[in-house]
Amino acid sequence: MNRFLLSTRTKMLSIVMVHILWMSLLGGHLAHANSVALYTPYPEISVPPGESIDYAIEVINNTEEIKNVPVSLSGVPKGWEYSLKSGGWTIQKVSVLPGEKKNLSLKLEVPHQVKKGTYRFQVVASGLTSLPLTVTVSETGTFKTEFTTTQPNIEGHSSALFSYNAKLRNMTSEPQLYALSQDAPRGWNVIFKANGKQVSSVQVDANQTQDIAIEVTPPKKIEAGNYKIPIQAITNATSANLDLEAAIKGSYEMELTTPTGLLSTNITAGKEKRLELVVRNNGSSPITNLKLDRRAPVDWDVVFDPKEIPNLEPGESAQVFATIQASKKAIAGDYMATLEATNPEVSEKAAFRVSVKTPVVWGWLGVMLILGVFGGIFQLFNKYGRR
Amino acid sequence: MKLLSQARSYLSPSGTLTLPWVQEKVATNKTFAQKETKPNIPSPFWVIVQKEIADHIHSWRLIILVAIITLACAGSLITGLMHFKDTVKPSDPEDAFFFLKLFTASGNGLPSFIVFISFLGPLLGIGLGFDAINSEQNRGTLARILSQPIFRDQWLNAKFLASLLVVAVLIGSLTVLFMGIGILRIGIPPTVEEVMRIIIFTLVSICYIGFWLNLSLLFSVKFRQAATSALACIAVWLFFTVFYGIVVNLIANVLAPSEFAHPHQLVRYQEFIINLLRVMPSQLYSDATTTLLMPNVRSLGPLTQEQIVGTIPSPLPLGQSLMLVWAQLTCLIAATVVCFGLAYYSFMRREIRSR
Repeated sequence: MNRFLLSTRTKMLSIVMVHILWMSLLGGHLAHANSVALYTPYPEISVPPGESIDYAIEVINNTEEIKNVPVSLSGVPKGWEYSLKSGGWTIQKVSVLPGEKKNLSLKLEVPHQVKKGTYRFQVVASGLTSLPLTVTVSETGTFKTEFTTTQPNIEGHSSALFSYNAKLRNMTSEPQLYALSQDAPRGWNVIFKANGKQVSSVQVDANQTQDIAIEVTPPKKIEAGNYKIPIQAITNATSANLDLEAAIKGSYEMELTTPTGLLSTNITAGKEKRLELVVRNNGSSPITNLKLDRRAPVDWDVVFDPKEIPNLEPGESAQVFATIQASKKAIAGDYMATLEATNPEVSEKAAFRVSVKTPVVWGWLGVMLILGVFGGIFQLFNKYGRR
Repeated sequence: MKLLSQARSYLSPSGTLTLPWVQEKVATNKTFAQKETKPNIPSPFWVIVQKEIADHIHSWRLIILVAIITLACAGSLITGLMHFKDTVKPSDPEDAFFFLKLFTASGNGLPSFIVFISFLGPLLGIGLGFDAINSEQNRGTLARILSQPIFRDQWLNAKFLASLLVVAVLIGSLTVLFMGIGILRIGIPPTVEEVMRIIIFTLVSICYIGFWLNLSLLFSVKFRQAATSALACIAVWLFFTVFYGIVVNLIANVLAPSEFAHPHQLVRYQEFIINLLRVMPSQLYSDATTTLLMPNVRSLGPLTQEQIVGTIPSPLPLGQSLMLVWAQLTCLIAATVVCFGLAYYSFMRREIRSR
């Protein structure tokens, strides 16, 4: 019986003890009666790096007397900042009336650069009680920026405009003002555009992405090949690089003109005129098998010497003579004769304004006729005059 | 050596010595002698010319003719100025020559200056010349004048020249008036080429009127009665202005090829009809003046498509415009001179003493 009693007493005691222990371990809001307790509704919080946490902590006085409770934090990880305030004051001690409670606010700043994991610390009412708090940092905090593009390589002619689309991602937890800079080779023109406007710097909010269009104009006369254009987005704290690549294809450009640049000439109907032409390769690739052709009025004839240019290296020019023969029936005035140089890659025209003159033969005939008539009159004067 | 060559140069080919200063002196002596022997009396030719001009200017006939022509030209000038804005278009290749439009612009049923000249010019020529010879003969003044110490051809030439001078002064002053009022109203002076074209146009007009003058002169020599010669002149003028066109129309209708004829045949037919029309002096005149005053006229006959392909609408330079109408100008000048020649021939060969 006794034993049984003992056993039941111990059992009960142990149950009460376990209960008390369990209770004291959990939260502590139900701490010992007749003492001071610390209470917060969210003792375990999960946050991203850089977040600030506002804890509302209540200091509960369960005793029968006024309690002066010194409050402090212990075990706060290094680099974390906090402030403990009540009633607008930063406090070290609170005084609580019996049976009353006092609100404290704890502001805790989780730094940006922090490792993923669980961080524990305590709010300590020294000598009386403590409140363990747990902060789980959901991810490893970075101070990083991402500058990416899905298509870093574009191919085109030297006269083309290379348009890249890049994304600038601010992975820090603060808005950043990025200065955009480029380190393209000399002669290249690089333009940054954000939101349709040309910019030199761009503001990106925390954890936001900004689309940036990069327009690159290569120099006109550039050899074929691959060119790297390093792009940078820099702030005082972070920076990101992006390497763009422009593959320049050999361009075909040609000029067909005369040595003086004069594209007009005179010609007498039915007669020939020899013109000197210059074909110049202004591109970056050699032009081969260049044929010379014409688009002249009906019955006009144009003969080229030579008829074909086999090869023309970049920057070189070739001399061609064109002999234009106007139609016999051509009327006086201006005609358009177009001379062309074509190969499969490139074609160039030179439109000549040809002023046709009528042959003077008939004019002389008219003069002869008039002179003949006047001669006849003179004969009349001689024969019949002065009688 | 140098002296020798100089000395040799003074020796004339015949071997006589001619020194430059001596030669000079001889020459000055000669001019003195001429001045002394020939007093400053105008030759009888110019006296007759002056008298004839004075006669013309004081005659009612010329005053009426001048009044008609001046009124008509004033009308055409007003029309030209009123319609100037409509005729000048910004995209016109002829834009550089817009001053010339004054002469060719027409509207409100009033024809342009050149049409008036081609219509009234012959009347002026006929009016000045139809009784030049026969009225003098009928009045009996011919024999009296020719009994003076003047040559017979001088008298005819002076008659012709006096009338032509009157015409030239009239047409010239009308043109200059036209230009002057045009400059006043438009405010832009004509360019050098425009002035050249206008001058040539004036010369062509004088030549055209000169043709009719010579024709009437010929008739006045041929017909004893002034009325007959006037009627003959008017008949020729009427024939060319009214009936000839009808006759050509008839011929054209008869000869017209079918619609499905070869283009070359059509072109030849067109050219034939145009050449028939060009027998008329007024057609020659209007061809010439149109081309001169509208520099963008590049051809007067029909054009094939082949000739048009590749052409740029642009004004012709003056030389080319002249070349284009050279045949017309040649014909006009030749016809004028031939008429004069005929008049001269028949006047020189005729008996003038009887009345």
